[in-house]
Formats: sequence, structure tokens, C-alpha cells
Amino acid sequence: MVDFARVQKELQECNRDFQVSGIKVTPKGEANLAHLLGTIPGPIGTPYEGGTFKIDITLPDGYPFEPPKMKFATKVWHPNISSQSGAICLDILKDQWSPALTLKTALLSIQALLSAPEPDDPQDAVVAQQYLRDYQTFLGTARYWTEAFAMISSLGVEEKVQKLVEMGFPEDLVRTTLENVGGDENLALEKLCST
Amino acid sequence: MEDDYYFSGGSEEEDDYYPSDREAESLDGLENEESDAKWATSKAPSSKVITKESLLAAQREDLRRVMELLSVREHHARTLLIHYRWDVEKLIAVYVEKGKSCMFSEAGVSVIELVDLDPPEPSSTVVCNICMDDVPAKDVTKMDCGHCFCNNCWTEHFIVKINEGQSKRIRCMAHKCNAICDEGIIRKLVSVRHPDLAEKFDRFLLESYIEDNKMVKWCPSIPHCGNAIRVENDEFCEVECSCGVQFCFSCLSEAHSPCSCLMWELWTKKCRDESETVNWITVHTKPCPKCHKPVEKNGGCNLVSCICGQAFCWLCGGATGRDHTWSHIANHSCGRYKEDGEKKAERAKRDLYRYMHYHNRYKAHTDSFKQESRLRETIKEKVSHLEARDSKLRDFSWITNGLCRLFRSRRALSYSYPFAFYMFGEDLFKDEMTKKESEIKQHLFEDQQQQLESNVEKLSKFLEEPFDEYSEEQIMQIRMQVINLSVITDNLCKKMYECIENDLLGSLQYTIHIIAPYQSKGIAKAEELTWTAQANSNNKCQKISDQSTGDLIEMGKASASGTSDESSQLSRKRPRKGSSTGSSMFDLNLPAEVHQPNT
Repeated sequence: MVDFARVQKELQECNRDFQVSGIKVTPKGEANLAHLLGTIPGPIGTPYEGGTFKIDITLPDGYPFEPPKMKFATKVWHPNISSQSGAICLDILKDQWSPALTLKTALLSIQALLSAPEPDDPQDAVVAQQYLRDYQTFLGTARYWTEAFAMISSLGVEEKVQKLVEMGFPEDLVRTTLENVGGDENLALEKLCST
Repeated sequence: MEDDYYFSGGSEEEDDYYPSDREAESLDGLENEESDAKWATSKAPSSKVITKESLLAAQREDLRRVMELLSVREHHARTLLIHYRWDVEKLIAVYVEKGKSCMFSEAGVSVIELVDLDPPEPSSTVVCNICMDDVPAKDVTKMDCGHCFCNNCWTEHFIVKINEGQSKRIRCMAHKCNAICDEGIIRKLVSVRHPDLAEKFDRFLLESYIEDNKMVKWCPSIPHCGNAIRVENDEFCEVECSCGVQFCFSCLSEAHSPCSCLMWELWTKKCRDESETVNWITVHTKPCPKCHKPVEKNGGCNLVSCICGQAFCWLCGGATGRDHTWSHIANHSCGRYKEDGEKKAERAKRDLYRYMHYHNRYKAHTDSFKQESRLRETIKEKVSHLEARDSKLRDFSWITNGLCRLFRSRRALSYSYPFAFYMFGEDLFKDEMTKKESEIKQHLFEDQQQQLESNVEKLSKFLEEPFDEYSEEQIMQIRMQVINLSVITDNLCKKMYECIENDLLGSLQYTIHIIAPYQSKGIAKAEELTWTAQANSNNKCQKISDQSTGDLIEMGKASASGTSDESSQLSRKRPRKGSSTGSSMFDLNLPAEVHQPNT
């Protein structure tokens, strides 16, 4: 059984110094603390700067004695993160996990991974190859993906709704979907397409 | 030509046979032949059977050596040994080269004396960094590495790790702490909540001695006999477990020398594979151009018709009409030469015949071996007949000795065929030998092999004779023949192995094939670890751990020699918090049955 008392404490502590770290963890549903959504800002000085990256967190029964399952919900172009599934290649999420680590430290590690890719131990071979062979193109693509998927759109809610409705989705569905994903038009589009 | 091997002497023929400079060896040989009656073990065998019960005793010696050498407690010794895969020599080498502290930190052992300047009041509370709760100080445990968490969290952590199958190396919970947790604490905490899991943990720990140790392997018997075999010096050998299964220690398949493990693996695969059948089909059949079934030509002209009704030309495989004469199919001609196809078929045919040659002989000898196993019964009968007869002859050990010799030589002979198949084939050593070299070597080897073969057959013939009905004089004749042939085949086997080891495999440069050495006495039966002898050393060990749990003995100087002269060691008292962890440490000193719920 997940140690929810600890998770509760972790959430409080993490969100307390949100102003400093920019890292946020929120429960996905009302009742269940096993599914969480983490948010990390793209590190400054990297192509991810300015982006806000959402990370899907699932806590296994053995948490904190087993590592949390984390993957990017926001599409990101990075050698150690799958551009398809968002899977993250990070040792502390696997065998190097320690119960003394927390969701916040794990998210900090992911943030550090964004600034220091390890192309020699890639998750996404295509990205890793581009990183090694043509760094400039890599930077360009990573930047483009950040702008396209990780920037909170400056559009207002109504504009987003209109944009999606123009794509051919029914307005009611668009509104509820947008609400569910927290106003992120890209996520909403993905959801709409998959349903 | 074989007559050269026969001797006129009665009992001294073996001495005569060997040149004087090999007398020692010949005496050994003589002894072997005599002790063969029992044909178990005359010399101490180089392998031991480790049963469930003696598993603990088996690792005792290694643990004690490390405990004495490094003055560490038993669980530290075990952690070190697990890290170095029970290779005491390697452990000592690392110790000498890198020093104690480096070795300890690599293996995750921390024996730093922790001075608790501010021991928490038993009534106070501390914050556990894992569950982030305030817990009473009496409910926390500090590991040797100094990290302190609450017992609940430790227990959870241990349970997760044991279930993950990581019992042998459970690390401290602190991030990046490399220290391995004290097995005594693990056992104590886990058994409170899950006694069965604690037992599992103990078993994993004990079985590490088998799993992680290259000198110890599980017996491959099916169903499993529960035993493991430890070899003392050479891992390339063949052993017999106390359950009766004989196997190659290195690859765990059946004993197969003089084949190397790789050759044997390839051979069994080849024999199992249908690839040879496929080969036969390519050589002898052609696919029907319509239904694509393979069609075999059973005579007649080159116009073949398939059962599906399609007629086709046997020469080219192309579909044709049915009109034909002996020399010509109407509206069809395929006289153009196509080299590739021909060559391929040619090659496949040659390879197939080559394989068949070796396989037939291999199989013939294995079959003979199986039939001769039945001979054992008839021989027994014959011997009892002879013994019942009123005669001067009393000693019939030559019969059983001869029979054993026959079995062993037959074995070597049958496995020498797959060996030859690979040794002189193109699969393995194409780049190692020129074709000519290979041919010369092949002749050399085949000469020896054939000599052995003819003598084995002769030996077999004599043993199958109904000599229990013969006159004494005739029996004496046969006795001599059998004794002579036994010595000869033994020697020829030895020579064949020498030839294989030195002239054939020994001269290879790029590939390494090691074969189990020739054992004149057959595959050595592994000896049981004697339990009573171990009981003494157990007591001794108990004393050592008694003492080392009380005190931490640290060596004044690094003594690489490994002597346990206690006067050279400085004893320092180490304060231990509570003796509860100390007492549970002795669990592994209990007889192994305690840890075996099934026994």
C-alpha cells in the first residue's frame, strides 16, 4: 500500500517552496494520491527554457520503497526521453532509487537531465544520433518542440475553444476536455483525437 | 600389428609394459586396476557433493578464512565474499593491492567505529527521513554506515528487496549509500512481520555460495536432487553427483570429453536440428513447380510428375507438358549450364555425407555402449557361475575391471567422433589451419582413433564370450587377453587425449577449447562433505563469532598471510547498542536444517 501520509507531506513541502524551485506536484484526481501530475520549468540556458513540462506520475504500491513511475506528458525532444511515449531514462527512477529520495528530488533530477543530456545512454536513438552528429539541428528541433508543446499558450480560453472547434470537434466536448487537462490546448487536442 | 602389445608374463606384464622412467605412473595404473573392483574412489576426489544439509558447513571454511584474515564479523565476511563471488584468492589479492578500506567500501562493508556523541534518550522521538514521521527513539535502527531510519521503514525496504530477489546485496536506504545492510538486523526485523520471508532471505544468502561461486554448481539432474557440486581446482572436469548423474562441470550437459563444450553444444544442436533433413531434401528432391511439395525421383526418365498432376523436368525443375521421349521433353530444353546451383547441391551433398559418416560412428558407439551396459548383468551372472565352480581360480576382478575399461574406452571413442567432425571440419578452425595441416593432423588422429577402436572391439568380443563354460586353461587365456587389452585401451585413450590436448587443440592460436582431462578411472564420484568433521569446525566458528561479536578486533598490521595469531592483533572494545542484534547473528551457525523448512 502506498504510504499516503508521506505523499501528503511530500506534496505540502514541495508546493511550499514552489516559488523557489518552480516545481509543483498536484494530485490528478480528487480522491486518489497514486496518480499525480508534476510540473517542471525548462532549465534556463537550454532549448527547453521558458517551457513548462508536465510529468505524469504513478505511485506503485510499494512507494516509497519502490521508485515512482514517471513519464513526460508534454512532448519533448531529448536524447534520454522518448519522443513518442515520454518514457524517461534515468537511473534513480530504476535501480538507483532510494526510499530517501522524494518526488521533488526525482523531479529535480529530471530537470537536471534536461540541462545535461547523456546521448551515450539514450532512450530515443534518433534524437541521440542527431544530438551527436548535428548539434545545431538538435537545438533547433528541441527549441521548436518546446515552443510548440511546452509553452503555455497566450491564447485565452475562448480562443482555444474556437481553434479546436474549427478543427471539427463539438464545442461541448472541447470545453470539458480543455477543463480536464487544465487548459492545455495540445493535451486537449491529443485527448480529442484519441477518443 | 597389435601383437606387439601382447606379453607373455602373467602378473608383471604391466610393469614390463611401462618403461622404467614411468614406473611411478605404472604403479599408479596398477593400483587403479586393482581398486577398480570397487571402482569408486581410491584417491581423494577433487570434487565434493554439497547437500542442503551441508551447504552451511561448505562455506564455513571460506567465511572463517576471511574472518580471521580481516578480523571482521561473520556478516561482513559474507558480504565481502558475495561481492568477490566466493573467490578467496581474489579477495586476498584485492586486499593486498588496494588495502582494506578501499576493498571494504567497494564491497559495501562499513566497519567504521561510530561514536555516538549524543545518543538519543530512549523516551525522546526522532524524525524518520523515509516516512517523515516522528518515531520513538527505541523504534529506530542505525546501520553500520551510520544511517538511521525507523524499523517500519527498514522492514518495508527489506521486504521489497527480498521479493525483488536482491537478498544478497540489500543496500542502505540512504541515497547513494553503498553500504550493505547487516544480515542480522534484516533477519530480525523481517521475521517479526514475515517469518517465511526471513527464511527465504536466509536461503538466498546461503545459496549465494552456489549461485555466485564459479567453483560450485547445482547438479543438473532432473528432477533436481537438491545437491550442488564443488570442484577443488579445475573447473574443466567431469563429475558424478551422489545422485548418480554424471556431467561436464563446465557446461552442465552430459559428460562429453574429448569434445570441447562448444563442439558438444554444436553437435547436439546439429543432431537435434532438422537442418540435415533439409539438406537431404535439397540433395535428393526438387520442389514441384505447382504445389511446391518436394518430389523425389524414383527412377525413369527426367520427366517427373508430382502427385498433384504437374509434370516437370527433373534437370531444371521447370514445368513441362507430358509429351516426351527418353531423351527429350516436347517443347522443353534446359541444357544451359548453371554453375551456381550445381555447386550448391554438390556442397550440400558433401557436407551431408561427411556429417553422416561421423554421426553414424558416433551413434554406433553410443548404441554399443548402451548394449554393453546390459552386459554388466550377464557378466555378474558369469562371475557367480565361475565362483560356484570348484577351481583354483579365485580372483575374478579382471572381469569387472575389463568391463569398466570397456565402458570408459567406449565412451571416449564415441565422443571422439563429434570431436573429429569439428576439429577437421570447416565450421570452427578454418582460419587456424591450412587444408594441408588439417589433413596431416586428421591422419595422425585417425590412426590413434582406429587403433583404439579395434582394441575396444576386441575387448568387447572377449568379454562377451561365454567363458563361464570354458575350461580353466581357456579362462586363463581370456584373462590374459582381457588384462592386456584393458591396459592397451587405457593407454590408447590416454594417448588420444594427449594428441588432442597437445597436437590438435594445443596448437590453436585464436580459439580456446579446453577439454576435461582423461580420467583413467572414469568420472570421479564427488565425495560427500563429511558432516561430523564439520561439526567441530562449526564449534570453532561459534567461538570465533562469539568473540568477534563482543569485540571488534582490528589488526595492528595488515597481515596478508592470513594467520590468525591473536597476539598480533589489537583488541579494541566496541560498544554495542543492545545485544539483540548480536544474538540473531548466530542464526547461521545453527545447523542448516533450521533454515530449511522442507527438511
